[in-house]
Amino acid sequence: MFYRLSGVYHTDYVSDSRIYGVPADRNMAAFCLIIGLAAPFIIPSLYLNSYMLPWLIWTAAALGLNLVTGWAGQLHLGYAAVMAVGAYSAIHAVRFGVPWEIALIIGGLAAAVIGSLFAFAALRVKGLYLALTTLAMQFIMDWVLTHSAAISGGSHASLQAPTLALLGQQITSDTGYYYVAFGWCLLVTIFMLNLKRTGLGRALVAVREKDYAAAILGVNSFYYKILAFATSSFIAGVSGALLVATFFFLAAPEQFSVNVSIQVLAMVIVGGLSSIIGSYFGVALILLVPGLVNSAVASISQGLGVQIGVETLAHIPNAIYGALIVIILLIEPLGLGKLYGNVRDYLMVWPFDQIRK
Amino acid sequence: MKRLNKLLFALAAAGAMLSGTSSMAEPFKVGVCYDLSKAYTFASPQISQAAMDLAKLINMKGGIGGEPVEVIVRDHGNEPQRGIECYSRLSREGVFVFDTLSTPVSLAILPRAMQDQRILMQSLVGRGDAVDGTVFEWVYPVGPTYWGQAANDIAYIKQVHNGDLSDVKIGFIYFDYPFGQEPIEILKTLAEKEGFELLLYPVQLPGTDQASAWSKVRRDNPDHMISWMLSGGHVVASKEMQRNRIPMDKYISVNWLNEVDIGNIGAEAATGLKRGTNVVGGQDVPLRLEMIRELYDKGEGSGPLKNTEDVFYNTGLAMYSIIFEAARKAAELEGLPITAQSYKAGLESLKDYDADGMMAPITVTAEDHGGGGKTRIEMWDGETWVPQTDWMAAYSDVVWDVVKESSSKYAQ
Repeated sequence: MFYRLSGVYHTDYVSDSRIYGVPADRNMAAFCLIIGLAAPFIIPSLYLNSYMLPWLIWTAAALGLNLVTGWAGQLHLGYAAVMAVGAYSAIHAVRFGVPWEIALIIGGLAAAVIGSLFAFAALRVKGLYLALTTLAMQFIMDWVLTHSAAISGGSHASLQAPTLALLGQQITSDTGYYYVAFGWCLLVTIFMLNLKRTGLGRALVAVREKDYAAAILGVNSFYYKILAFATSSFIAGVSGALLVATFFFLAAPEQFSVNVSIQVLAMVIVGGLSSIIGSYFGVALILLVPGLVNSAVASISQGLGVQIGVETLAHIPNAIYGALIVIILLIEPLGLGKLYGNVRDYLMVWPFDQIRK
Repeated sequence: MKRLNKLLFALAAAGAMLSGTSSMAEPFKVGVCYDLSKAYTFASPQISQAAMDLAKLINMKGGIGGEPVEVIVRDHGNEPQRGIECYSRLSREGVFVFDTLSTPVSLAILPRAMQDQRILMQSLVGRGDAVDGTVFEWVYPVGPTYWGQAANDIAYIKQVHNGDLSDVKIGFIYFDYPFGQEPIEILKTLAEKEGFELLLYPVQLPGTDQASAWSKVRRDNPDHMISWMLSGGHVVASKEMQRNRIPMDKYISVNWLNEVDIGNIGAEAATGLKRGTNVVGGQDVPLRLEMIRELYDKGEGSGPLKNTEDVFYNTGLAMYSIIFEAARKAAELEGLPITAQSYKAGLESLKDYDADGMMAPITVTAEDHGGGGKTRIEMWDGETWVPQTDWMAAYSDVVWDVVKESSSKYAQ
């Protein structure tokens, strides 16, 4: 009824390999795109600026991590460090006089180089050992940032980002920042949507499922792992640079510390490995829910006139938030993306499947 | 017609009353975006409690210029992203004075506050060079910078050694990240100037393992140990000092050491330990006693009484006395309602203000947003804190050289 389908019946390969197998999905994507474009005009600036914007940038970053963890199956615990490389190299490039467009690409490339250099060393090991090696990269990066004033910018290790300017246009308004974030997130999403239709995407999945089985099929698993690391690092680098350029306005080591790495990984896992829409949901849950629950609890206690100590008040949202993650993963271990998929599959041919039963 | 006129008149009167009451009830708000759940919980409950108590007391006395004051406390969990959200949300509600008590969040809010022309109070946290009011127009780190504190520690040691540091060895033990590294530069400068030997002992976070650092200290045997660590770090340090037979009176801590840490070290064992501070330690402070009398004895305190028996409560009272005193000055100078501009003028007219003997007197000017950066050294005598020096701001020329050098990088 909702999808106006009685089932999905492909009759040729072209229709099977479309991005959207079902017209309703395409319509929904178009609807989201319109909402996204119209957001500055329909969403109050507080929510645009402190919820939508970080949500979109982190989604782009999480999609990058999903590429290496979800698609290629390589656990990565140093993702924030890669974002830091991108952010710092882009800012230094701009301060040196390079225009932002090129600086963003420099940031992405620098991140890709460092990320895949590490992957070269790291990929000699697998699984948990690889995870630990990437964690080592995170710690090395933390150390470098806190010990080199030349990179981190001196006093309390903070580096001011010059004003963002794209295509000769200085960007200073909330709306402008939003569109930059939106554009980047859209770009990454389109890339990821198409990835699963390409040979590269299929090779990555083959490597994830069993790397030597993939090797027997003629897929060079080492090459594809490196490629996955490099691509995801590029996305991380640009996302990191944009995060600083449009949201933080200055880079500090705490913004890219080890708990941020864990957070991005949590976004990907809670959202669902190798699920694109799941990444959107996962980022929303990990990034935005604490703040939302916080203000909800504050206003509820105010509305009820209950006198709760500020400290207790601060810990209740954390408990709710933690419980929320556990409950979601109990209901659906494959994450929010799969949860959405279940609902979608149920409604796909409803109510005709009920008749069949 | 007559009836209609009456109705209109009544409406107009009601409207006038409504608008009148709403402008009268508009309180002076302070946005207290604090970390109440993660890294800063060793101090944030006491300080926020002090802020709320002080607001209550001021409202009991009739507010500022007849208007009530309000502190809005929110948790940001030490995450820059949530701090920015707190700042954006509250600033849309008309708040223009913010305090974060968190270096990462303060750093994250700073560019926005500068852009939006809102006051960012950041006593004891955030970038130290923000005392330079010519560059950081809207940022007020009233209180000492870590550079100033370290310089004052050296000045105290110089007093102990009768003005000659030439054959004195001073050790500096610190958490090996920006907070702990900050004083190193100024200590090196002063070592050159005064001729003492400076020894550095970095400790990895979270500071639970300091064994190697302290056995090195035992070998080097410095005359004094200046410590830039937080809460639990002091406790571990004291254990290591006992193990290595290093007397406690060599230890001079940064201001982040409170009664909880003393309790964990053991009140007896901590005898002789010293601390640099910009507020008066102990419980016999006029303002605190007034709080107990007016609020806690009547059961109206904003939290447990135990939190008030803590130097961080005193710190909170000092920080918020400054914030409200500036508002009072602003109302005096430029009338109500207080705006960001008039509040700024209020802050910059604070002169030798010490909140009734609560803290080092401060004088905020348009150039010096730190208020002079005076501290003193206090010693734990087994029961309470005993001052060892007067309030002082030593080597201010050297400190300001560092400040200017650092702030000029921001101005670029």
